[in-house]
This record gives sequence, structure tokens and C-alpha cells, in this order.
Amino acid sequence: MAELLAEAPRFFGYYNLVLIGRAFLLTALLAFAANALGLVVGFALAILRNERIVRFAPLRWMATTYVELFRRIPFLVMLMVVFFVFQYSRFDVSLFGVAMTALALSSSAFLAEIIRAGLRSVHPNQWDAAEAMNMSGLTALRLVILPQAWGVIIPPSLTQSVGLVKSTSIVSQIGLMELTYAAKVLNQRGFSAGICFGTILVLYFALCWPLNLLAARLESKLASPHHR
Amino acid sequence: MSYTLHYGQVVPYLTYLAGGAWITLQLAAFAFVIGSTVGLLCASVLEYGPKPARALVRAYVLFVLNTPLLVQIFFLYFALPDFGVVLGSYQAVLIGMALNEGAYMTQIQRAGFRSIRRVEVDAAETLGFSRWQTIRYLIVPHIAKVLFPPLSNQYIILTMTSSIAAIFGVEELSGRTYNVDAQTFRSLEVFSVSALYYVVLTLLASGALYALGRYCFRIKGGVY
Repeated sequence: MAELLAEAPRFFGYYNLVLIGRAFLLTALLAFAANALGLVVGFALAILRNERIVRFAPLRWMATTYVELFRRIPFLVMLMVVFFVFQYSRFDVSLFGVAMTALALSSSAFLAEIIRAGLRSVHPNQWDAAEAMNMSGLTALRLVILPQAWGVIIPPSLTQSVGLVKSTSIVSQIGLMELTYAAKVLNQRGFSAGICFGTILVLYFALCWPLNLLAARLESKLASPHHR
Repeated sequence: MSYTLHYGQVVPYLTYLAGGAWITLQLAAFAFVIGSTVGLLCASVLEYGPKPARALVRAYVLFVLNTPLLVQIFFLYFALPDFGVVLGSYQAVLIGMALNEGAYMTQIQRAGFRSIRRVEVDAAETLGFSRWQTIRYLIVPHIAKVLFPPLSNQYIILTMTSSIAAIFGVEELSGRTYNVDAQTFRSLEVFSVSALYYVVLTLLASGALYALGRYCFRIKGGVY
């Protein structure tokens, strides 16, 4: 422990701090971008799976297959598959793009499940009533269902985005300079593992904790008794 | 795309990968058993323990839930030797996964505790049950039913999480996938086959857990 403290001034030098700071920003940016993309795709999937909106069954089955498939593939394997698909394709995609695609692919499957559960939490009578008022599926979703479903959708989606932030650590496997990879690099430059990984654990905590707090707060606030 | 897929070269390794899948299931099972024990202990502490112990458990759960498992295992594997604790790769992964799972289990099992009615606990007290007997004969059997769906979900998630072990050189399904990749250089084929293995594996596990829940606890659905 005393050795770690003695090492601290050297570890928290200017260049290391810049390295860690950039890695922190990259992690945050990656998580944000992948989460936004995953949310859009997840939403589309949840809509595609809804029998009130999509009447064409094969389309629904395709969306269901996507969700069932992609949420059963571990992120590490998903990352490698996406990495090699991009490598063998003609597209020249940066590591950031690879990481973002893999994260969004696996996150969208989980988010689709969350959003679908949220939509199902609204009583089917509401769909019937909207239909009786000659609303189309999407209009009913927008004006009737979603306003009632947000409270059920948002808190678990935030928890899922915490999971996504944590998944970004696995991206270090393809060599993107995010927090985990930065810690590995610093460790290989001779700083002891305790201080390298300890520091980034704190930084990950700083990213995840506010999100989790927000999720908990919204959950107690939004899940009010008037719901249903 | 100018790349041609050659799945034929992966075929000889299919049984080798299946062996890895078995190790994955084992690893997940060990982590699950240890993790749920830790979770049960911590949840009991949170509900019945003294204040300092509760604060300790809360800090543990808070820390684990907000940091990535991979970095936790990195810490266990690379940093603990500086403090005189040397762990093998399998041990480090298993301990990391179990501690991680323990935190999630604490939350889940605590929700299970909460589902118990005050009246029943009072009844047990009236009947002269000790605290331990109340836990053993009232709480555990009661919450087993409530907890089955989230616990089986956790097991499925654990089988997927265990792929992280490959990074530390444990030869479970992902680890063996890396090995086959290194031998055949058919990366895309090998990893997509591995992905398929995981899908089949978790589907089988889901099916088994569904059947177990249906016939042992009379629970319909709710599995991953």
C-alpha cells in the first residue's frame, strides 16, 4: 500500500492524466453514441414486433429472431464477429465504428425487449379504443400508448445503458484506446496494476453511478399508482 | 465482398468447441452457486444485520454494480499479487464472476425478502421460531417461488458473461474459439460458429429452466 502511495505522484503526472482523460472521454462518447444508435434500432424493433402496428407477420418474426439471436450472443463474441465482418468487407471502418456497431447491435436487442415490455404494460383496451377512433397503429402508439408507457420504459433503459458503459471495457480487446486499454498500456509501462486498474475503476464508477441514481429516482417517481 | 467463407475448416473443431461449451456451463454454474450464496448472506445482512455491516454490504453492492466485470477481474488477477494474493486465471475469473453475481443477487434476493408479509414473520415469532429458524423454514421456501424467474435469468446472463474468461486464457467456449482461430485463421467463421453455440446453449438452458420452473415451482414463463 505504501508503495502505491509512493508511486502516485509519478502516476498522476501530466502525460498520464492526458492519456486517461482522453480515454475517459472516448469511453463516454462511445457509450453515448452506441446507446443512441441502440435506442433507435431497439425502438424500431419493438415497433416491428408489435402486432397492433405491423400486420404482416413475417416482418414481426424477423424482428423477433433478431432480438432472440442478438441478446443470446456474448458481447465479446459479437465484437469479434463485427470486427472481422468489417475487416473482410470493403468498408474502411475505424475501430470506433466497429466498437459502436457491436455495442449498438447487442444493446438494441435488450432495449427492444425493454420497450416491448413497456408497450405491453399498457392495457390492450387502450389500443382498441384508439382503433375505434380511427387512429392508425403508429398514431395510437404516439398519442395513446407511449405517453403511458414512458414510465415503464425509461428506468430499465437507463439501467441497460449502465450495462452498455460497462460493456465498453470489453472493447479494449480490439485495441481501441478507451479506459481499460489505457490502464493496460499504463500497466505495461511499469506502473503497478493496483493503481492503474484502481483509477479506472473509480472513473467507471463516476460514469455509471449517476445513471444508476437517475434510474432509481425515475423509477420511484414515474411508477406511480395512476399507471393503469 | 471479396471474401469467401470456408466453414469446412471449422468442422473438425466442432466437438472441441462443444467441450468448451460444457466448461462454460460449469463456470456459470459455479459462479451462480457462489454468487447466490453471497447474495443470500448480503441480503440477510441488509435486512437483519447491524448498521456497520449493512453499510459495508451497501458499499460492496454499489461498487460492483457500477464498475465493469472485466476491470474487476483485471484488478483481481494483476493487482492482488502485489498484495501477496496470487490467483490462477480460472480462480480469478471465477471469484470475479461470483463477487459480481453476488451483488446482483443481493438486490434480487432482497426484493424477494421484501415480498414476505410482515404477518407471516410475526406468526413465526409467535410460534417461537428463532431468527435462524425463521429464515430457514419461512423465508427461504417462500421466496424460492418469487425468485425463480429472476434467478434463472441471471444464470443465462452468466453463461454469456463467462465469455470474459477467454481474455484471461481460460479455455471455455470463447477461449477455445480463440484457440481454433489461432490454428485455422478463419476468424469470421470461427467466431460466428461460436456465436451460434452461445445461442443454442442459452436456448437449451432457457428450456431446461423453464421446465424446472414449470414442474417444480409451477411458474409459467418468465425465463429469459
